[in-house]
Amino acid sequence: MNHRGGIALIKATWTSWLQYRSFFFLLAFGWMIPPLIYLLVWSTAAGEASIGGLSRGEFVAYYLVLILVNQITYSQTNWTVGDMIREGSMNRLLLRPIHPLYDALASEVAGKVVYLVFDIPVVAVLALVLHPEFHPTMIEIAAFLPALVFAWMLRFFWGYWLALLAFWASRASALLAIQDALIFLLAGQVAPVALLPGAIKTAAVVLPFRYMVGFPVEILTGQLGAAEISSGFTVQLAWLGVSLALTALIWRSGLRQHTAVGG
Amino acid sequence: MPGEIIKVDRLRKTYRVPEREAGLKASVRSLVKRKYTDVEAVRDISFNICSGEMVGFIGPNGAGKTTTLKMLSGLLRPTDGEASVLGFVPWERRANYLSRISMVLGNKSQMLWDIPPLDSFRVLGEIYRVPQAELNRTLEELFDLLDMLPLLEKPVRNLSLGERMKCELVAGLLHRPQVLFLDEPTLGLDISMQNRLRQFLGEYNQRSGVTVLLTSHYMADVMALCPRVILIHQGKLLYDGELTGLAGRLAPFKLLRITLNDMHAENCEEVLPKEAEIIDRENGNLTLRVNRSAAPAVTAHLLSTLSIADLTIENPPIEAVIDQIYQEGSV
Amino acid sequence: MAYYLRLITQFMKISVQEEAAYRMNFWISLLHSALNLGTGILGIVILFNQVETVRGWTFPGTLALLGVYLIAQALRGLFIGPSLDALAGMDGEVWTGKLDYTLLRPADIQFMASFRRWRPFALFDLLLGMGVLAIALAQLHQELSLVRLVGFSLAMTSGIAILYAILLAFTAFVFWSPGVLFTWIFDGVFQMARYPVGMYPGWLRLVLTWVVPVGIITTIPAEILTGTASPAALLGGLAMAVVFVCVSSLLFRYAAKRYASASS
Repeated sequence: MNHRGGIALIKATWTSWLQYRSFFFLLAFGWMIPPLIYLLVWSTAAGEASIGGLSRGEFVAYYLVLILVNQITYSQTNWTVGDMIREGSMNRLLLRPIHPLYDALASEVAGKVVYLVFDIPVVAVLALVLHPEFHPTMIEIAAFLPALVFAWMLRFFWGYWLALLAFWASRASALLAIQDALIFLLAGQVAPVALLPGAIKTAAVVLPFRYMVGFPVEILTGQLGAAEISSGFTVQLAWLGVSLALTALIWRSGLRQHTAVGG
Repeated sequence: MPGEIIKVDRLRKTYRVPEREAGLKASVRSLVKRKYTDVEAVRDISFNICSGEMVGFIGPNGAGKTTTLKMLSGLLRPTDGEASVLGFVPWERRANYLSRISMVLGNKSQMLWDIPPLDSFRVLGEIYRVPQAELNRTLEELFDLLDMLPLLEKPVRNLSLGERMKCELVAGLLHRPQVLFLDEPTLGLDISMQNRLRQFLGEYNQRSGVTVLLTSHYMADVMALCPRVILIHQGKLLYDGELTGLAGRLAPFKLLRITLNDMHAENCEEVLPKEAEIIDRENGNLTLRVNRSAAPAVTAHLLSTLSIADLTIENPPIEAVIDQIYQEGSV
Repeated sequence: MAYYLRLITQFMKISVQEEAAYRMNFWISLLHSALNLGTGILGIVILFNQVETVRGWTFPGTLALLGVYLIAQALRGLFIGPSLDALAGMDGEVWTGKLDYTLLRPADIQFMASFRRWRPFALFDLLLGMGVLAIALAQLHQELSLVRLVGFSLAMTSGIAILYAILLAFTAFVFWSPGVLFTWIFDGVFQMARYPVGMYPGWLRLVLTWVVPVGIITTIPAEILTGTASPAALLGGLAMAVVFVCVSSLLFRYAAKRYASASS
């Protein structure tokens, strides 16, 4: 694997994206709104009391952390991979002596840095205005960091293999739209997973989506006990393994298909 | 004067363009204080055009031809000066005026992309309030002149560039405008299609009496269609008159290209008459510029004094002519 | 005028043809509509699974508001959105320079900007929104008197008019600075109209009522149906609609005129 080339690519992409700051800030603003809406609705609903064990302040904390975690794990390159395959620009990447994955990584890293430059100050201001209740312990922080990294990897590779279906089907973007909807429902956006009703809650705990966003957030905001954290990690890593395998598999056979047909 | 439908008097168009310097410091500075430069695209242009004329506007890229046309079609408002087309002030953009004119831009399509051209024509017919029967008649005539029947069923995105250009012309003429502004209509087309379209434009002008203002940087367009040309260079009108006069007056020199038998070109300089100016030399090939009137004499002299393998006498390209005009300041 | 009505019919016809040129889009659009509806309803279901009321709003009332929101989005997607987008959107004429052709037409520029492109599929979204509304009303056990229906229609009309005015103003801004994604910002803020404005903290409520009145677009019609609206609110909404549309139209026409003198 060509690491030096990959790192150089990441640096170059990052510098060029910084030029278009305002465009990306606007994007980040747009992505921030849905969690913000639910922050406001749930904290209003909780009012003086608590819902499902969460007080108003805890809802605020949960959603503010969610905004940042969602941004860090959001994988926008999945949308472009399908386009690249269809338009043939994937060929350009295949010709380079580094794996196309680096191209995706480059824009991931570049994007997140730029978006976070916007998000972090905004979240800080919101925290000042909305008064979250947030007291993370050292253990929670220690568990949060790997969970966050795995969450990003899971969301990235899960989206990647779905996008690779563009090697065969022309409208893989439809699948990504479904994925976004599932993430919205089951990953802790519309409500913390603990508050989901019966069957939906079961689905959320079993399916990979919660582990892409909600799981690290729940750890850091103290909603999970030790046992829940470890079982959570098990499921998260299992799904990560599945998505890595699927990605490798589909990449190999998709490549064969792609080059056989002539791109 | 009778018959004059386009009257242009000292038209001027100046743009304020923000200065863009490179570098981080300059961009930060520009956030606070913007510096502008004035670009004079059109300076004091005056001319009159009669009904039915075909006039070609020529000049290098960026000379101000398109800007002038856009002012006359009402798309741009001049900084100063007056113009009257068909009795209207173009930039007031009255509906009555707009329905009598038409503009076709060579590099921009006005057709709807995903559906057959006929549907675009129908919508345009409605927009220009052309009665159904009259529209059908006009379309039939245009389709016939342009030989378009096989195209009509395909969506526009499946047509070739030349076929699309035919559609653009139909779209521009279906409401029978009195004045047609054509901006680079043959851009990007192959030679046979260029000829085809020129033929059509000439014929259509004869039949309908439409007044045509055409810009092009292909001399061939102008030579084929426009008895009268207006030369615009750096915003100024440098020549307004017959094309034949232009060719004669503005190309006062010829280019002589000589290939010498003997590769050593150094000693030939002494042999050259003083009227001949060396523009280019490469190995055994020389390019000389000679005054038109002196060309025959110089040619004869060279043929007798040098050992020449090949000699051609050419007219200089129009851009060189225009550049020289500019250097001389006037015609 | 008959001329403009005929033009609208033509534009609608053309839009149907253009849509039909891409079959796959129909199924994709269907999917997006279904997902949008599903997630919207589930969001409310999950919320009210945990509480009975939120600042006086019940499940049927909030569902009714979602219905109004979907109807507003559908009407926007039917012609307002597509037409303005054709001018000012990412691939719009202001960007590609094809605005010249539109300016050359003898038809009014605001009319062209507002009614030129239609998206027939939005009619389906409209039906979905009305369906949600109907279900919510059934659960509300409210009497649907004629007065209330009229009030609702007026409130919806003012709401759509305000929506139109805001989007038209954004289109005007695009003439000056083509780069900024005004509609993206607005879409984000408009998302807040999915929930009753009363559920938001006081300062935000004020912003969403007086600064970017998305609250008025959905909350007032819903309140009329649930019987909690005041006549003052309805009249205020109407007045706001008139003012917004007038100011916005003037702004747009001014921007279009100035554009003509600056372009190249």
